[in-house]
Amino acid sequence: MATNRETVDLVDGDVVRQFARAAVLAALVGASIFVTIPYPFSPAPITLQVLFVFLAGLVLGPVWGAVSMLLYLTAGAAGLPVFSGMEAGFGPLVGNTAGYLWSYPLAAALIGAVVHRGTDLRNPADVPLPIVVAALVAATILIYAMGTAYAAWLQALEPWEAIAGYALPFVPAELVKMIAAIAIVESGRLEPVGS
Amino acid sequence: MLTYDPDDTLAHRLDPRSKLAVQFGFAATALAHTSPRALVALTAVAATILLSARVPLLETLSAYRFALLFLSLAPVLAALTFGSPWLDLADGLASARASYRVLLVLLVSAAYVRSTTVRDSRAAIQRTIPGKPGQLLGIGVALVFRFLPVLQADLRTISDAMAARLGDQRSAVDRASTLGLLGLSRAFDRADRLALAMQARCFAWNPTLPALSLSRLDYPALAAAVVLALSALL
Repeated sequence: MATNRETVDLVDGDVVRQFARAAVLAALVGASIFVTIPYPFSPAPITLQVLFVFLAGLVLGPVWGAVSMLLYLTAGAAGLPVFSGMEAGFGPLVGNTAGYLWSYPLAAALIGAVVHRGTDLRNPADVPLPIVVAALVAATILIYAMGTAYAAWLQALEPWEAIAGYALPFVPAELVKMIAAIAIVESGRLEPVGS
Repeated sequence: MLTYDPDDTLAHRLDPRSKLAVQFGFAATALAHTSPRALVALTAVAATILLSARVPLLETLSAYRFALLFLSLAPVLAALTFGSPWLDLADGLASARASYRVLLVLLVSAAYVRSTTVRDSRAAIQRTIPGKPGQLLGIGVALVFRFLPVLQADLRTISDAMAARLGDQRSAVDRASTLGLLGLSRAFDRADRLALAMQARCFAWNPTLPALSLSRLDYPALAAAVVLALSALL
């Protein structure tokens, strides 16, 4: 085995802490597919996954939140059963729900950018509530727009057909997750690194 | 559930990088074609790949059951029309063909998952993606692999504790926010201890990478990957 002989290039302490949180949150998004909410209108199980995508943007900010979600996608592609329905592999990343999966890093980055207004993280509880709500609503719209648009293109569906199959059944559950995310922010117990 | 399965098939002996290349090539060409002739050819290629990894077909299909549900729902949605004649079969068939190729892509990726350890995938990521992003992604995948069962157990403990206190009779919002907050704070406690432990062990941008080497078998596989990727342009 080849050995590196150059000096060790240590990772900065701040980066290590953010990276560790991003990796653990990616694992948490994967673990959350096992916690399902009973919900009558959906053919697939409703999980808390999107709640943790929201939290990634809220606590880790635009950069590390997006990194965390990319780690989640990469881990799934590498064969960990972290995608909805315990699916794994590269297939789901181009399959019918790929639009949803690829929207997670963008949604986390969007929430982080709106709530933290840059890469300096602040406590989300100090941010005015309307801004947090606007960020969550925008992120949800982004997730559903990407999810349904990709499915419509991939499976040769009309826009309203894709919306009926891939978005409408899930909207009520999404509202639950959004309100839960706001309740968590308002509890003031989310503390970003360095605050 | 789809996972790595130790075996000695052709696919198991290939380097993870050539298997990834084949997957990318197959996905590229499958996303570019929906004609019946192309689907027959894609089916033949997918069958060869599945045989080379000895993928159990029924088990794999049941692992993808939720995806299958949506894949079979789409043609029905496409065929239904408001007003006479209510059913548009041509639309339904176009959507069925488009959905079928997605199933093939999923099956081909199942062959990768069955024949590749997460450790090998991680090595492939760290060796292929240059610089710091490659290092972070590779180590991140290893950490997700390590923490997934731990955090699953955490979430189960929290929801059991909630159920024991009649928490399962509270509203959905209440349950979701309790589970989210407790799950996150437990996970971040673990992350902070992990960060300290990684720093204590000299977590660096230039670690010694896990060994990987291309063998003679890999060159035909890489060539096939290139052919598949180019056929997307046909």
